[in-house]
Amino acid sequence: MADHVDPKLAGGITRRDLLLAGAGGLLLASGLLLVPKRYFRMPQQAQSFVTKVAHYQLDIADAITRGMRELGVAPEELKGKRILLKPNLVETASGAPHINTHPLVLRGSIEAFLRLGASAVLVAEGPGHRRDTLAVYEESGLADVLTEDRIRFHDLNYITGYELPNAGRQSSMRTLTFPALFKEVDWIVSVAKMKTHHWTGATLSMKNLFGVMPGIYYGWPKNVLHHAGIENSILDINATLKPHFAIVDGIVGMQGDGPIMGDPKHVGVLVMGRNLPAVDATCCRIMGIDPYKLSYLERADNWLGPIGEGSIEQRGEAIATVRTNFELIDTIPAQQGIRLT
Amino acid sequence: MGLLEARALPEGGFPARSGEPFRSDATAWGILSLLVFDPHHSLLGSARDRLAKAQRSDGSVSIAMDHTDAYWPTALSVLAWNGSPLHESHRHRGVQFLLETTGTQFKKEADSPTTHDPSIPGWSWIAGTHSWTEPTAVAVIALRATGHGQHDRVREAIRMMLDRQLPHGGWNYGNTLVFGRELHPMPESTGAALVGLAGQVEPGTVARSLDYLQGEVDRLRTPISLGWSLLGLAAWDLWPSNGAALVERCLANQVRYGEYDTSALCLLFLGALAGETETKNTLFLHSSRIQAPAVPAQ
Repeated sequence: MADHVDPKLAGGITRRDLLLAGAGGLLLASGLLLVPKRYFRMPQQAQSFVTKVAHYQLDIADAITRGMRELGVAPEELKGKRILLKPNLVETASGAPHINTHPLVLRGSIEAFLRLGASAVLVAEGPGHRRDTLAVYEESGLADVLTEDRIRFHDLNYITGYELPNAGRQSSMRTLTFPALFKEVDWIVSVAKMKTHHWTGATLSMKNLFGVMPGIYYGWPKNVLHHAGIENSILDINATLKPHFAIVDGIVGMQGDGPIMGDPKHVGVLVMGRNLPAVDATCCRIMGIDPYKLSYLERADNWLGPIGEGSIEQRGEAIATVRTNFELIDTIPAQQGIRLT
Repeated sequence: MGLLEARALPEGGFPARSGEPFRSDATAWGILSLLVFDPHHSLLGSARDRLAKAQRSDGSVSIAMDHTDAYWPTALSVLAWNGSPLHESHRHRGVQFLLETTGTQFKKEADSPTTHDPSIPGWSWIAGTHSWTEPTAVAVIALRATGHGQHDRVREAIRMMLDRQLPHGGWNYGNTLVFGRELHPMPESTGAALVGLAGQVEPGTVARSLDYLQGEVDRLRTPISLGWSLLGLAAWDLWPSNGAALVERCLANQVRYGEYDTSALCLLFLGALAGETETKNTLFLHSSRIQAPAVPAQ
């Protein structure tokens, strides 16, 4: 018997084969690393509802009630529940009501939840720019509406908080501090505004939740979240808080240099759903933005919810019938190359 | 003042709202209000003691013991201990903390979308974040009130605040232009910055901001905006003739908004009395007359 046997003849593996296999494996592995994580996730399904509402004087409560019924929100589910509505109140400027969620969308949302059996609805916000939350509440016109409707408003910026472990783990924040008020409610609803954004491309129901983080712990602006990464923080907040529903005010949105300095954009829609990434992806398509081009949505896909068109059951109006491209500014990096083709 | 007294905690200090536990910011604002109302008020000692218990070994006072990064109440606490021999060591350690602490600063990149100079040190709300208008203004107020007005940190901070002043007047939280657009001013930030700068810069340097605030004050209905605005205008001897009526209207708005929290209520109270010389002397409202200009007129 020979002392040395050619491994190839023996059906074995040569050193060259091993090296080639190793290199191939490395190539394969590195190639896999380049594939977005979403391709390895189990596909998810969600629904979103789009309804036309041409202007704020129409019956918004009816539109939202219809939408919630279409989405399977049954009275038994809401009976006796306490609902917290979180609008998008940022700051106010003369002639720029499109910065904030319109007060009549809040009124319609409140009425819809009460009609469907909620025992109480409250409205709460902690603006990121203004230290004086009540000033934004007053100047946005929301104070008039809620005072008339006898609905309580809560300033989230000064409320003592409670910590939860960061379930998203996208940023280095180990815990997130939410307002203690949240322990007293059953549903958290993001009542957002349809706007472009100069740091994230668009701000919709997920980004709106920055406003739940109390300023006393996160500052003005909520700079802790900026340092942790805006996209990371959006994902962490949503993953940890697990909001229950979203309603986006797209009756008049904001295009261009949002979220503050942009121009009004009439779209004439409300968009809603139980799953926030799906709602935001639908909003993006209405705005003519590719949701896969927004980092936080792409990362949320099939984790916090689906953003693929085929994974979202579209109820109400078809997107194509209401799509109207929002102006994007090509000198703003977050808005470059995000147009939906 | 009765409302504040009613909120006093048995162990000393004040909560943000009735029925809630101690809060450092509320207690510091409460002490400042008590000082103006009656410098010998019986609640002062226990409130200062309680605030002292909240001070950490590094001299900082945070919003809560389990949120030590949120150290922004330190400057307010320094003001609250100022003038009390029994709390001299606490005041001293608070001052040291302020002098040794800055917000994050960095060199601006050539393609930065923001216009302000991020390399000028000021103070942040929260550890590890950037310097912003109001915490910087309040730290300057505290350091000046405690005899550190000529310290390099104060001079730098004044330069930082002037750098953050909006071209058309006023301040906001601390950004000026982003992607070439000038952002909106805010009364509360403007008022705080004007208190910090009074007596340190020529009136012409802040003329547009004073114009902005004078134009705004009549329409303000909420305590934080109105309180800081009245303090800011008083610091420049411009407290409005209808100031008392504005404060009354703001107090009446509690029917609409619910009871104001302790800090907001005290800020409004101080703003209401800021036009009186005695209040100015008791508080931190330095005369707008230049004493030792830190930064020349631009």
